[in-house]
Amino acid sequence: MASYGNTDPITMEVVKNALSSIADEMALVIMRTAYSSIVRDSMDYSTGVCDRHGRVVAHGMTMALHLGSFPDAMTQLVSQYEGDILEGDIFVFNDPYTAGGMHLPDVYIVKPIFEAGELEGYAATLVHQIDMGGIAPGSTATFATEIFQEGLRIPVIKLYEQGRPNDTFFKIMSLNSRVPDKLLGDMRAQVAACNSAAQAYAKLVAKHGSETFRRLIDDLHDYAEHVAREEIRRLPDGTWSFTDYLDGLGDDPEPLPLKATVTIDGDNMLVDWTGSAPQVPAGINCPSPFVVSTVQMMLKCVAKQEIPNFDGFSRPIEIILPEGTLVNPTPPAAVAARAIIGWRAVDVLQGVFAQIVPDDVPAAGEGGVTFPAISGWDQGRRFVVSETLCGSWGALPERDGVFGIPNPGGNLTNQPIEMIEALYPIEIQRYGMLENSGGPGKFRGAPGIVRSYRMLNDETLVVLRSDRKHHLPWALGGGAPGTPCLHIVNPGPGQRLLPPMPSDPVKFGVDEVFLHVGAGGGGYGDPLERDPAMVLEDVREEQLTAAYVKAVYGVVIDGEGRVDAAATAAKREELRGGNGHAYLDFALGALGIDDFLVKDGIVHYD
Amino acid sequence: MSKPADWTVGVDIGGTFTDIVLAGPEGALFVHKTLSTPDDYGRGIATGVRAVLEGQGIAASAVRRVVHATTVATNTVLEKKGAKTALITTQGFRDVLEMRRLRIPEMYTLKYQRPEPLVPRRLRLEVTERLGPRGEVRVPLDEATVTTAAERINAAGVGAVAISLIHAYANPDHEHRVAEILRETLDGEVYITCSSDILPVIREYERTSTTVINAYLGPALRHYFESVMGHLRAIDVDAPIQIMKSDGGVMTLEAASDRPSYIVESGPAAGVIGAARTAADVNSITLDMGGTTAKASIVEGGEVARTADYEVGAGINLSSKLIMGGGYALKLPVIDISEIGAGGGSLVSIDAGGLVHVGPESAGAHPGPVAYGQGGEQVTFTDAVLNLGYLNPDHLVGGGLKLDTDAARAALMEQVAKTLKKEALDAAWGVFQVACGTMVRAVKAVSTYRGRDPRDFALFAFGGNGPVVATAIAELLEMTHVIVPPNPGVYSAYGLLLSGIEHEVTRGHLVRLAETTPADLGARFGELEEELAQLMADEGYGVGAFDAEWRADTRYAGQAHELTVPVPRTSDGAPDFDGLQKAFGDEHERTYGHQAEAEEVECVTLRVNGRVAAEFTPDKIAVADGGPPGSRAAYFGPAGQVDARVVSRAALVEPVAGPLIVEEYDATCVVPPGWQASLDDAGNIHLRVM
Repeated sequence: MASYGNTDPITMEVVKNALSSIADEMALVIMRTAYSSIVRDSMDYSTGVCDRHGRVVAHGMTMALHLGSFPDAMTQLVSQYEGDILEGDIFVFNDPYTAGGMHLPDVYIVKPIFEAGELEGYAATLVHQIDMGGIAPGSTATFATEIFQEGLRIPVIKLYEQGRPNDTFFKIMSLNSRVPDKLLGDMRAQVAACNSAAQAYAKLVAKHGSETFRRLIDDLHDYAEHVAREEIRRLPDGTWSFTDYLDGLGDDPEPLPLKATVTIDGDNMLVDWTGSAPQVPAGINCPSPFVVSTVQMMLKCVAKQEIPNFDGFSRPIEIILPEGTLVNPTPPAAVAARAIIGWRAVDVLQGVFAQIVPDDVPAAGEGGVTFPAISGWDQGRRFVVSETLCGSWGALPERDGVFGIPNPGGNLTNQPIEMIEALYPIEIQRYGMLENSGGPGKFRGAPGIVRSYRMLNDETLVVLRSDRKHHLPWALGGGAPGTPCLHIVNPGPGQRLLPPMPSDPVKFGVDEVFLHVGAGGGGYGDPLERDPAMVLEDVREEQLTAAYVKAVYGVVIDGEGRVDAAATAAKREELRGGNGHAYLDFALGALGIDDFLVKDGIVHYD
Repeated sequence: MSKPADWTVGVDIGGTFTDIVLAGPEGALFVHKTLSTPDDYGRGIATGVRAVLEGQGIAASAVRRVVHATTVATNTVLEKKGAKTALITTQGFRDVLEMRRLRIPEMYTLKYQRPEPLVPRRLRLEVTERLGPRGEVRVPLDEATVTTAAERINAAGVGAVAISLIHAYANPDHEHRVAEILRETLDGEVYITCSSDILPVIREYERTSTTVINAYLGPALRHYFESVMGHLRAIDVDAPIQIMKSDGGVMTLEAASDRPSYIVESGPAAGVIGAARTAADVNSITLDMGGTTAKASIVEGGEVARTADYEVGAGINLSSKLIMGGGYALKLPVIDISEIGAGGGSLVSIDAGGLVHVGPESAGAHPGPVAYGQGGEQVTFTDAVLNLGYLNPDHLVGGGLKLDTDAARAALMEQVAKTLKKEALDAAWGVFQVACGTMVRAVKAVSTYRGRDPRDFALFAFGGNGPVVATAIAELLEMTHVIVPPNPGVYSAYGLLLSGIEHEVTRGHLVRLAETTPADLGARFGELEEELAQLMADEGYGVGAFDAEWRADTRYAGQAHELTVPVPRTSDGAPDFDGLQKAFGDEHERTYGHQAEAEEVECVTLRVNGRVAAEFTPDKIAVADGGPPGSRAAYFGPAGQVDARVVSRAALVEPVAGPLIVEEYDATCVVPPGWQASLDDAGNIHLRVM
């Protein structure tokens, strides 16, 4: 077995659990005390515990794609303040270029932890704040061209100095947000989480004694490295690449490629993002920590055993992120809606690992969350509500794609319809699956999700960030790609189809409707090989119609609701010559979209 | 108080055993363990009850009360054996049940499989109607759509229907009208539940899920209760039968038939209630360690902690919303119990990096630990503690179960000690420590996670293994006082005797205090009080026999999660808003370490609770003599292997210092060096750090 210094493996296990329970406790404190819906219901935040060098030793169970968010930030904090980190200090920052942040709404609050006068660790939190000012409500607009338009940039500064709050800075923050009460409420929650963690961590240090504890931590980093190496070693050696595309920006989008090349060499892994598009003058450039997170997350996803969150696990992973690209922008590139790159990076890596470990990786899902920020005025008060819409996975080699599940990159929740309606002037008319959607296959992708909003007040704005309207979620093993993600204003005659990332906020009047249709997951294997009994079950479940399964799966259902075997065999024979994109005709036709063209796998709309 | 000839029976049904406790005059207490009869549980209960009555020469007519806890409801969900159920929802929302809150209980997975919804899509039917968040009618109920749904339900031959419409918590009219139409159309046997009756609170998924669970359980539990009643009546036990609820109160068998979703956690609740009544004057954290899991809960001022963040069928419930999503949301009050997969049967494994894990996988009762000799091959927690010398291989369940120490030691050597390059005893000690470290998380989930310092509490240990690990866990949390009650191995059955009648009625009412008046809120509480009075009257208690307590789920306006606090009242009986604001602020401070006095407070849900205390009081419990005293070698880590005295509980009349092992019919209590054991008048063992 592996050996780590002289530390007893029993004590290591006990301390490892104690540390992760501290990070989970922090996450609970934030969840219960936070104000904004994106924190309390969508859980878009993270908590971490770091050792005295700022290396992560535990990460709360919230967002997988925040996994890599603390190392760069902690490196900045430690290097900028070395020698000036005092008991009772609490730091705050958000800037991607000077503070290791990701985008301005992600506000970090970090508290150094002292025991017996010695710096022993840090309690770190990151909360997606609902509004940090900038060009559009929600501070996540795609249409800023420079970071200066995106809101308040905060370098690493002290929010509390030796226990005394920095009132000046609180005033500046408050003045720069559209919803200061929510911002300050959420920041209070972050501080409370740090305080509770600091107490528990200091106790743990005191219990073992500083010297032993520090050695223990070093050993746990080594242990994590060892487990990660074991998992990488299990993978076959070789080099694999995959390229996926974002639809692009504005009203006339141009595709933006993202490419990863993964090399497995013994117990080392190299991930090279060369081939990804140059940075763009829009808010979707993605600071590197988020991309690093996708790599770490994917390794954990395909691992057979849990890889602990000690920073040491990242040692066998090398990541190349060319400067000036979407995955490692240089200032003053705008970054507000950068998560879209992270989501697509997950798909790219999924595409790579589907080649390395084909049994363990599904076809592409909905492509990460669609993020509409809805804002307006209600009884004289400003409101902003951001939604994280997701829920459809692609198919696995032996199983249909899961429906009603967060994207693997972020374990988010949906917001209760009744809560939204009680708090904001919005009525949600429908939330559920789109029938006849998802990518067909021997195993089919999950259907797309529909969520429809009726605006009750005039002058309601929607800032939209979405994707997968043109480039569909890819399939595996000969299945069909998923169905597209669409946004429709006032569905029905005269409806308007929005681009994936409009260059301006979309304005709605009273009773106007904003319809979100999420992408359906990609399929696996030939649809004509799907077991007719499974097809029939989908029809009985009213997920697919009889007309659809006849045209797409070649399964003929008779008048008594049974599979007509002979007619099915004949129909399948006929369909082997191809059926065009019959499944898209059904999915899009139901939304009143008849004029579209599929060319080179890309959907064009008239 | 009990009259001389009055006897009370507690019956706790688990998967394998049915535990029966018979309590009578002057502390007389008889315990009986019998095999459960899953084909018809009522038969096993009646057989057991008759055996214990006949054994003591007590007439069935002397039984004045039967209190019952059961895992049947939980198992019905886990085993998917509930009724074929339909769901009626508002147009546009039939998939809410399936999509849930999205979140899953695992972080890094590409192969997660969701639990199937309890109602398939084809039976989730939509009707045309729409309410707004204040209960206002935006679209009137289109009764033709209800009729169409009823026809489909009829054709499908369902056993139950759940009705859950958007915003029905604010206005039950549409749901009630739908139910009325269904009753006119469907077979009278079809079980119908409205969300506005079972859980009138905001958040559509949780309310719908709860309603569906109630309907899904309804027919099966109605049948089960009929069987229990029938079998008991057949042996001439005519006493009223009460059922333990998940929140620790009891309800009549008839009420439980209407609201089976209320009794899902009845077994674990009974143990905690027992602790709350037994040690009413100390604040305690309960630790109930059985064969597969360890459960913890908190008791303050004689009150148990309750929560509504609960899921059934999720496997292990860490009482942490961070890992929710694995089961079916059941948003009814349950005793807040955190659970961790560490029990006697928990399997020991070593990971690729060389660290030791205990659980959550379990060898269960079959094949069980290696030492059981029933084919179990992987080392379990029990095998380790047997090697430490804590358990008597010849005396488990009063000698009914023999353990093979040699086989356990050989497996421990081969699977753990060799890999860790340790001696067998050190390896066993390591397993014991890891298991205790894991269980500490369950204790922390109900204490530090909620701002409570465990050092201010006693650890109240029961379950077959609770008293084995109690002092070790106490030491890890710097707790200095452990209590081990009598009959720790059948303690849930005993706890049943101590439970009172308890009911709570709730109503969703989202309003900022600044936007309402004490008179308006008071009127709403008044309506709830009338509902409560009706429930109590059904149980045979008139007004005056119980106190109605007003409580409210409150939060700062805009927060997502609420805290439940008592609502103080002014001299005219109306709610005292200043007092409520202060009570909430204090609770917020206590739980989260801060409050925001400038923030507005809003109510989300109103609650009225009534309780009638139990008639049985645990003043004097006769302590039975155990086996013959002796001694054996036991290993205590740093203290090494020492000769520990083995005594019965009765021998503790004088305080005795550890190392010591207290052996009983149903459990073993380990007292390491540095701890002292003593007995109080009620027969509880108190362990204190010396």
